[in-house]
Amino acid sequence: MQLSRRDFFKQAAAGGIAITVSPFGPVQAALGVARPFLAHETLPEASGPGPVLGRIDGAAKVTGTKLYASDFRAADMPGWPPQTRHALLLRAPDATHVYEGLDLDALDPSAKPDVVVRAADLARVGVTVPPFYAGHLLCPEGETPLYLGQPVALLLFESFDAFDRARLAFRDGALLKFGPETGPQTRPNYAAYRFTRVAGAGPDAPDLYSPIQAGWISPGFTEGSGRPIWAPLPVSEGGDYAQGAAHGEAIRAELKAADPAVLTLERAFATQSVDPMFLEPEAGLAWYEPSGKVLDIVIGVQSPFEAAEAMATLFSAAQPDSRPARIDAKFAYVGGGFGGRDHTPFPLYLALAAMFFPGKPVRLAHDRFQQFQGGIKRHAFAMRSQIGVDRASGRIRAFAADHVLDGGGLANYSSSVAVVGATGAIGMYSVPKVDVTTVAEHTRGVTAGSMRGYGTLQTLTALETLIDEVATALPLDPIELRRRNALPTGGRTMTGNPFSVSVRAPEILDKLEAHPIWRDRAAHRQAARPGLLVGTGVACATKDFGTGADCALGSVTIDAEGRVAIHGDAVEMGNGIGTALANRVAAHIGRRADAVTVAQVDVFDALGLVTSGDPYAISQADQDAAARDPRWVPAISSATSASIGAHVGTQAAAEAARVVFRFGLWPAALALWGIAPRDPRGKQWRDAYWQADMLILPGLSPLPLKAIAAKAHEQGGVTGAMAHAFSRWAWAEATFALPGEDWTADIDALAIRRGSGGFERLARTSVAFPPADYNRIGTAFSSMCGTAVRVEIDRATGALTIAKAYSVFECGEVLVPQVVLGQAQGGFAMGVGYALLETLPPFEDGPGNGQWNLGRYVVARASDLPLHTLEIEVLPPLSPREPPKGMAEVVMIPVVPALLNAIHAATGHRFQSLPVTQAMIKDILA
Amino acid sequence: MTTISLTINGKAVGPLEVRDALTMNDFLREVLGMTGTKFGCGAAQCLSCAIIVDGPDGTSATTPTCVVPAVEFDGKAIRTIEGHAVDGRLTPLQTRFIEHFAFQCGYCTPGFLNEGQVLLERLEKAPVARAEVERVVAEALDGHLCRCSGYVRYHEAVRDVILADPARFLA
Repeated sequence: MQLSRRDFFKQAAAGGIAITVSPFGPVQAALGVARPFLAHETLPEASGPGPVLGRIDGAAKVTGTKLYASDFRAADMPGWPPQTRHALLLRAPDATHVYEGLDLDALDPSAKPDVVVRAADLARVGVTVPPFYAGHLLCPEGETPLYLGQPVALLLFESFDAFDRARLAFRDGALLKFGPETGPQTRPNYAAYRFTRVAGAGPDAPDLYSPIQAGWISPGFTEGSGRPIWAPLPVSEGGDYAQGAAHGEAIRAELKAADPAVLTLERAFATQSVDPMFLEPEAGLAWYEPSGKVLDIVIGVQSPFEAAEAMATLFSAAQPDSRPARIDAKFAYVGGGFGGRDHTPFPLYLALAAMFFPGKPVRLAHDRFQQFQGGIKRHAFAMRSQIGVDRASGRIRAFAADHVLDGGGLANYSSSVAVVGATGAIGMYSVPKVDVTTVAEHTRGVTAGSMRGYGTLQTLTALETLIDEVATALPLDPIELRRRNALPTGGRTMTGNPFSVSVRAPEILDKLEAHPIWRDRAAHRQAARPGLLVGTGVACATKDFGTGADCALGSVTIDAEGRVAIHGDAVEMGNGIGTALANRVAAHIGRRADAVTVAQVDVFDALGLVTSGDPYAISQADQDAAARDPRWVPAISSATSASIGAHVGTQAAAEAARVVFRFGLWPAALALWGIAPRDPRGKQWRDAYWQADMLILPGLSPLPLKAIAAKAHEQGGVTGAMAHAFSRWAWAEATFALPGEDWTADIDALAIRRGSGGFERLARTSVAFPPADYNRIGTAFSSMCGTAVRVEIDRATGALTIAKAYSVFECGEVLVPQVVLGQAQGGFAMGVGYALLETLPPFEDGPGNGQWNLGRYVVARASDLPLHTLEIEVLPPLSPREPPKGMAEVVMIPVVPALLNAIHAATGHRFQSLPVTQAMIKDILA
Repeated sequence: MTTISLTINGKAVGPLEVRDALTMNDFLREVLGMTGTKFGCGAAQCLSCAIIVDGPDGTSATTPTCVVPAVEFDGKAIRTIEGHAVDGRLTPLQTRFIEHFAFQCGYCTPGFLNEGQVLLERLEKAPVARAEVERVVAEALDGHLCRCSGYVRYHEAVRDVILADPARFLA
């Protein structure tokens, strides 16, 4: 159940908590820091006509301006008491013994906390754990921690020096007392699903069985070990599951049959846990002002709307003296996210720190040890895959796989990652018979959740190395094998639906095949210098973007001087969303914005949105009933994740800009041109275009934006628009009565401003939300990427060098080319780290023990990468009207299997787990 | 406790009494409020915390601040990211970082900027051949971690500053 902002205000009656999200005010100058960035986000010199020359946040980021949540102290916040206090969140390094409390007596007096918050204190004040984070926020004394790294206490300090001493004293965990051994706590698995599809006789024939037709199925109960029972069928509760499982078992029987015409391979593959390792550890600042009962929060997350919801829920049923009347949140820029700041529990602890230190601004900031110990991790996968390929045609007949995910201590996004990994497991291939089971397990490990690649990275690494092995075994050229099996446009995915976006596998394969890295691979292998092994590998990926219930809020205003301001709800975490907003809006109204404000969820009140139900699970009847309320939308604001920034995050602002142009600037331009409303040219707004900041309509004098804007204000035309967009694998579409025209667009809510007036909501006259059964789709949005790499391996040491690499991908309209290329370069680097360097052991030796930091954890440095020989190619959009597609994740995927395939080409050995380290390569060469 | 005085971005700071164990990173961020210098790992592994120390002999070098006590900077002159631009005018390196979209989240930028600036100043005094440029840039920046960018654009930006002014930086 997702609460809307309006629900908060309903709660205000019951829970006494309102939510506001306010922008940063002026920040007091520190040494050399003159003014805040967040109060005015586009530098004056960066605005104007044409594309943005640099990131809109560029100057702020090269001058050290306070920008990230970790930068702000109480003295920076207008109206706050100037002194910052400090909070230390202690976490358990043990999850198999009873936690018995803190040994504060052993702490030096100079390191004593002023307040100690324990589980009993949370119970006393009556906090409510938001359902997404179900589990004790602090492990109660007398219980075994649910997972390694579970918080046990929050220590609050008046002085930084005491906090700093205590931080060091607690680092090795020795001051936490543990008693008898109990073994780990057991909990039910987070999710178990089976995705089975059996295609009909031909490409146009309906499927015999698919998740789209039959719904998603789960075995529904588990055996004593906690594992689901996939087969034999659970007769008493079989139902829908039994039907799907029967198809699945038939596919497995076919794969086991010894048909000489079919090459069958069965392989295991294991991937490791890793840390997002964003450079800025999680941090925030909070102040509870008891007389006004206002809780002020400064924090940086990928999901501000969710964080605000979670904090309100936390105190919704608290004792009156511990329940704020209002939470005012300020969302700062994010120093890297990669998924790890999407639905993180960190804001809850920050809010608690302030609530237990009333009247005193308090800062909670992880150091790197703490970030490793408590931050969200990538799921480790254990996979077993079977593939059957017709030897004569090279066509894949069937694919089956079983996935087991280590979800760690809290559910978080484990269910979702399991689904995405499973439904993406056949990559960009057309496979007529598929049966994939997946189970996400609770373990005592650190909680796993969202991270770039989100399940697909793991399952496609297993698939693309398996495809390479099939090519070797048939034998068939690896690219030709992929071509013969590539999903055609309109071809069906594992869930039985086609992608609704461009499918460009053939072009990707053609590009890879023609590239010198691939074309000349034999020559390079033969020309290897003595002592070196040379191998070339190739791999492809298709990666979903979006989650199936994504939305965007955006507004665009233009003043009488022609100055443009944009507000959006997406979060800047390096993704360049503000710059993308500026560029996409500029295409419609001719000027880069003078101000872009991101991470705003509270400036869209004029839309009057309400919501109810779960957008991922709502029934069609419930959706139809709810949609009769013209203010209802399936969801109000989304996390900035799942590569949705370009496609979804800019949609509402872009549509708002179209409205401003069509109903404000265009009528003003007609007036300036002296064109009467009934003149046929009055309808030619689609033919007009911007050049610099001049509006051009062939045959007429170009008009400057400034003059048009002034006229629009003079006429009382539309000078501002605010919109909400919702996507469930297709946009919600609505019609609004605008002056002289019923305006239909891919938005579901709209408000407009005339002249310098305020925003007024326009009730939609009709709406078509994507059908509820689209929730059965695994994904309909996907982007494709292929990578070729040539590696050189030192026979004696096992040291691997990436000699040359090429990645080619497609992402529709490219909003900010430099950001897209930069993300591709960064994705390549992160893929290299995942393939060759990064790993976190599970459980007691892993990060939950509090002893992990960089140095022990190795990420890719520049010297690990082919900086000067990495070639990135972005395919142009299929048409000028192709919308932007998400690309931030897909670009990190194929490099991983391509590297493993290259290592095989060089050494003859196929590694079946990650990472493949230098020591492992050396071992197999010995 | 020790009393220290130092020069930061050309301005005298201190005397201030600090705890001997206080790191320079915490001195800058918690005592002075200068948060342009970042905290990344606390183990001198990522160098997002690196600042410039200007030696009395006219040479400059970067140093991490997260593991070095503030007292070790007593009497020294340092520069941080807040001190590069003068009167709002960005340096060529800052400008190139922006033009190249060198960074994404930008959290590692202070360390790269300081390291690049030290390299430029070193090359002014000891120019290198054109063929050496990519090597010296790679060697200078390699200790710095960036999780977003893949490093390519940082290296290109520094290289372009050098190549744009061959009389100054190239032998």
